This record gives sequence, structure tokens and C-alpha cells, in this order.
Amino acid sequence: MTQRFDLYNPTEAHATIREMVRSWGEEHVEPQAREHDETEKFNEGLFRRLGSELGLFGVTVAEEHGGVGLDAVASVIIIEELSRFDPGLMLSYLAHDILFVNNFYHTANPEQREHYLPRVISGEWIAGMAMSEPGAGTDVLGMTTRAVRQGDSYVLNGTKAWITNAPCGDVFLVYARTSDDPDNCRQAWSSFVVERGWPGVSVGRKEEKMGMKSSPTSQLIFEDVEVPVENLVGTEGSALIHMMRNLEIERVTLAAQSAGIALRCLDDMARYAITERKAFGKHLSEFGQIQRFLAESYAETASGRALLYDVSRRISSDSRQSLGAAAAKLALTGTAERVARRAIQTLGGYGYTREFPVERMLRDAILLSIGGGTNEAMHKNIVSDLRRIYG
Amino acid sequence: MKILTTVKRVVDPDAKVRLNSDNSGLVTEGLEAKMNAFDQYGVEEAIKLKEAHGGEVIVVSIGDSAGTKEIRTALAMGGDRGVLVTADMSEIDPKGVADLLAAVIEREAPDIVLMGKLSVDSENNQVGQRVAAKLGWPQATFAFTCEVADGWATVGREVDGGTANVRVKLPAIVTADLRLNEPRYASLPGIMKAKRKPIEELTPDDLGVELEPQLIIQGYSLPPARAAGEIVDDVDSLIDRLQNTAKVL
Ligand SMILES: Cc1cc2nc3c(=O)[nH]c(=O)nc-3n(C[C@H](O)[C@H](O)[C@H](O)COP(=O)(O)OP(=O)(O)OC[C@H]3O[C@@H](n4cnc5c(N)ncnc54)[C@H](O)[C@@H]3O)c2cc1C
Repeated sequence: MTQRFDLYNPTEAHATIREMVRSWGEEHVEPQAREHDETEKFNEGLFRRLGSELGLFGVTVAEEHGGVGLDAVASVIIIEELSRFDPGLMLSYLAHDILFVNNFYHTANPEQREHYLPRVISGEWIAGMAMSEPGAGTDVLGMTTRAVRQGDSYVLNGTKAWITNAPCGDVFLVYARTSDDPDNCRQAWSSFVVERGWPGVSVGRKEEKMGMKSSPTSQLIFEDVEVPVENLVGTEGSALIHMMRNLEIERVTLAAQSAGIALRCLDDMARYAITERKAFGKHLSEFGQIQRFLAESYAETASGRALLYDVSRRISSDSRQSLGAAAAKLALTGTAERVARRAIQTLGGYGYTREFPVERMLRDAILLSIGGGTNEAMHKNIVSDLRRIYG
Repeated sequence: MKILTTVKRVVDPDAKVRLNSDNSGLVTEGLEAKMNAFDQYGVEEAIKLKEAHGGEVIVVSIGDSAGTKEIRTALAMGGDRGVLVTADMSEIDPKGVADLLAAVIEREAPDIVLMGKLSVDSENNQVGQRVAAKLGWPQATFAFTCEVADGWATVGREVDGGTANVRVKLPAIVTADLRLNEPRYASLPGIMKAKRKPIEELTPDDLGVELEPQLIIQGYSLPPARAAGEIVDDVDSLIDRLQNTAKVL
């Protein structure tokens, strides 16, 4: 059986997953998206069904460890398809399955896997990752959260900022400084699994945001939290390596959110301009300026997705794709903002109202140029890779 | 219990179809394909029967080799193994489909066969009935309920103006209507397991079936474009339009 190569669905399983999540999304995710944007509530019930009904947690975890055993492309497909409907819900999914599960799985020891993986893969526990701080985002090495070894535990103190799923989460991967040696600053950081229920762990007020309102965000605060040494992930001082290793899949899945937003806005604007709205006796798509909106949106979305899928299929534990992943995130976050903005313009007054999802999509799209590394950080990273090539 | 269920790969019914240049068929290039909606009810019922009575669900499809995707979807929902009979669907009529299916059924000897009541692309609504006739098995079509006990199936059928209850002795053919159940979604772990489930590929020759179409499609045409609607001023002019323009009153 010879099948044509399909960049977007490299195997039949990928194609089936895409079809399945899209039709589930139309039925279950789309109808609730507007309400959860307006009420700024996290749809915890629906989130858990992503796991219990569809088995979408643990996508990149091997089957023998209780996961699905798929690749970055599968995560990209799931996140792209469902971000057509509710990017906020999918930001929470991404924090759970990519920022926590994927990172933890590749770094944790067998006992840690055995203890935590079943809980987060079943969806019994919701997870997140805490790196950013009120005073340090792009400048990761400016983090001040600190863990000090005392006997069989570390004492953790500090405040993490804008943590996705902090208000609803049960378990977090937390980055903290464990050494002050100025000559060895790249080995100053360690990562820990910290449970929300432990004494000294608290969350701040829920942030009020411009978009991604269906995904809850808040500070995560540690006051003399006793973290047992068993919860140190990897070795002391190795956190930056785990962080770097996870960055590529984080970036392509965030880019997949942008791709989903761009596809949705393109669908809505094309249908409206080509078949629905008429002005001066003609469909909007007869007007040159609207044609430009449609054509540029299509071309940018299609080219961004080609890059996204080409990079994603090359991501594996033994292949570095930092340049491609940064480029995909940079390209698609800009595309999503522009396509959403053009969709609003094409829909005119309707586009500006909440009755249509395109204004929500623009608000959600903007986060993706900030979270998981700002677009300016992508510029910086791309050029540092280019220096390696040209310098 | 050995349960056989059938799936057909059809063009996504929500896709906009075009005719080819000589109107002899549809342009399917670039269109997405899906499992026929009524087959999903059949597959779901087959899996529910297996869950209740134990046994095996065999998923059968006829079509080109891309149809393994629809078989795998049914296997991901909970089917156990697949059979794909490769044939060019543009050269095969409902009788041919029924002959091929009947041959597979004779080979497999299931206790019950669950099928969609029709396929949403060609809407022939013939295959289930033809298979039953060919095998000399009882049939219960348009099922909205299906209970199996003691070698009999009790089937609620949707018929014009109401419902009918029938009992058919197994083995029997049951065709599913859309109120039969709510088909489950394939889960990711289900999709991964399905990758390892066997799909046997057969040709009409392997089954000893000679295809001689008795129904030949002469050509297709699109429905005429609908005229634009009209807003009338009052009830009297509405009645006038209905009587004199639309001529429906
Ligand atoms: C909704 C939401 C969810 C989030 N979820 C998480 C989460 O789950 N976990 C987590 O750890 N973090 C999370 N974050 C934090 C996010 O990753 C940071 O906001 C982001 O990395 C930027 O950091 P910052 O906000 O401190 O901005 P800063 O780093 O202060 O940047 C401010 C501006 O300066 C620019 N800038 C900074 N440094 C440079 C430079 N060297 N060159 C050029 N320009 C520069 C930036 O690009 C930006 O435009 C989330 C944020 C939001 C808004």
C-alpha cells in the first residue's frame, strides 16, 4: 500500500487524530468558547474530558509508560485543530501536556514517573510549569526563586508570575536557583516537582487578561516550602538543559495555536466575503482590497504551516531544531495577529462584535507573541543561530 | 459472539462537490473523506454488542486501498480486525457490493451483521437488503433499537408514521438508523492500538466474485441554483404568492 506523502498528516494515525479532534471540537469545544471567554472561567469539566474521552494527555509519553507514544506532530495537530475553537482552553492543555508532562517525562527518574505520570495522564491532576517571575521573563537567568538543601529536603522560596493553570492546578514543574557560584551560572538552576497541596504553596489573585481568558493564570507563591529531595527532577544544576530541550516542542505547539487561530479566521472571513456579504450589489470578495486580505492571509497561513509541520516532524530527542522552531513561532504568531485583524476588518461591524469569534481570536492571538518567549526573544535566538551558520 | 460490521469511505458530506468536465462523476481530488455517517451507528452498535456479550468485531470495507483509514477508525473505536476488499467503486453497483459482502460474510460466518441503512454519497439504500436476500438471512432495516438474546435479535424499526418491532432469528442483517445510538469517538490510545490490529486485503477474485454491473450511471448534474428568497409585505400577498407563484396551496 503506497500512500502519497502528506506533510500535515504523515501517517494514517495522524489523519485520524486530526479528523477526530476536529469533529469533537466542533461538537463540544466550539459551543462553550464564547461563554468561557466572557465569564473568564476555566472549563474544568471539558478539560478533563480531553483526557478521559479522547486520551489526549501524555501524547508524547511512550505507551509502556502509560502514554500514547506519538510525536511532536501529533501534539501540533491536536493543538492546531482545537485552537480553531477555543485557544484559551488549548493554552491550558499545552501547559499541562507539553510544559509539564513532556518535560517531566523526559527528565524524571523511574520512581518519579511511576508516581506522577498516571495522575497527570488520567487528568486526575492538572499540571503546569513555573519559570517566569515578576522580575524575570525573557531574562530567565534573572530568576530569584531559590531552593536551599536542608537534610532530606530543599526549602523553596519565591514567587512565579503568569503561571498557566496555577489557579486550578495540582502539580507544577518549578525552576529555582540552587547555587550562587558566579563562575558556574549555567548550572545554578534545578527543577522540582511541587504539589499545590503542600504547606507554604499558595496562588495569587487570578490575572485579568486581554485574551486567553478561558485559561486561568496567576502567581504561584512559595513560602518555606519543604520539597523532598525525591522531587528534584534530574540532577542538581541541570535545569537549564531540561528547559532548553523542551523549548522546541513548546515553540512549535505555541505556533500551532497561532496556526489554528489563523485557519479559523481565514475560514470565517473567506466564507463571509465569498458567499455571504454583499455590498454595492457584489460579494465582498469582488473588491480588490478584500481580495488582498484573503490572498495574503491564505499565503501567509499556508507558508507558516508548511514551516511548522516541516520543523515539527524533525523534532526528536536526538535532533536540534532550535532555529526552525523559533522561526515557526515568529512567523505564525505574526500571521495569526494579521489574519485575525483582517478577518475583523472584512466582517466590518459584525467582526468587531462578540457575536463572531474573530475579535476573540485576535485577543487570544496576541498572547502567543509574548508567552513561551516573546517575538523579540525569537529574533535574538534566530540571529544567534544564524551567527553560528554565517559567523 | 461474532459480529461483522461494514464501513464505507465517502466524500465528506459537508464538502462542496464539483462535477468533472464530462459530468460522468465527481471531482474528489482534494476533498476530505470520512466514514459514512450511518456506518458509525452500525460500528457503535457492534462494539456495544461485543461489550455486552463478548466476542469479536470484524470491520469490512469495499473500495480503494485508502479505505484502510476508515477501517482503522472503526478498529480504534473498538473493532478487532479488518477486511478490505479492493475494488474500483466507480465500476461497481449495489449488487456488486452486496455480492462481495455476502462472500465475505460466508467466509466469516458471523452471528450478526450490522450495517448503515444507506451510504450518504449514493443513497441507494439497497446493500443490506440485497445481502440478506443473497444469503437467505432475515433482515431488520432502519433499526433504532437492537437487543440480542437467545439467538434472536429484537429490533425497533423506524417506519413511516411510527415504529415497528420485529424479532429476527440470528444470523441476521441489521441496518442502522441514526437514532440507534451515539457513536463514540476514537480515543488516541484506541487509534494507537488500531495500528497493530490486522487488516486483510482481498480482491473480488480472491472471493470468487465476478462483477457485472447491472446499474450504470449515465451522468450527474447539480441541482438547479435556488432562486433568491423574497420578503412579502403581508399575509395576503404571502398567500397569493404561495397559490399563484409557488403553486403549493
Ligand atoms: C497568559 C500568560 C500565560 C503565561 N504562562 C506561563 C507559564 O505557564 N509559565 C511560565 O513560566 N511563564 C508563563 N508566562 C510568562 C511569559 O512566558 C512571559 O511573560 C514572557 O516570557 C515574557 O516575559 P516578561 O513578561 O517578563 O517580559 P520581559 O522579559 O520583561 O519583556 C518585556 C519586553 O522587552 C523585550 N525584551 C526583553 N529582553 C529583550 C532583549 N534581550 N532584547 C530585545 N527585547 C527584549 C520583550 O520582548 C518584551 O517586548 C505567561 C504569560 C502570560 C501573559
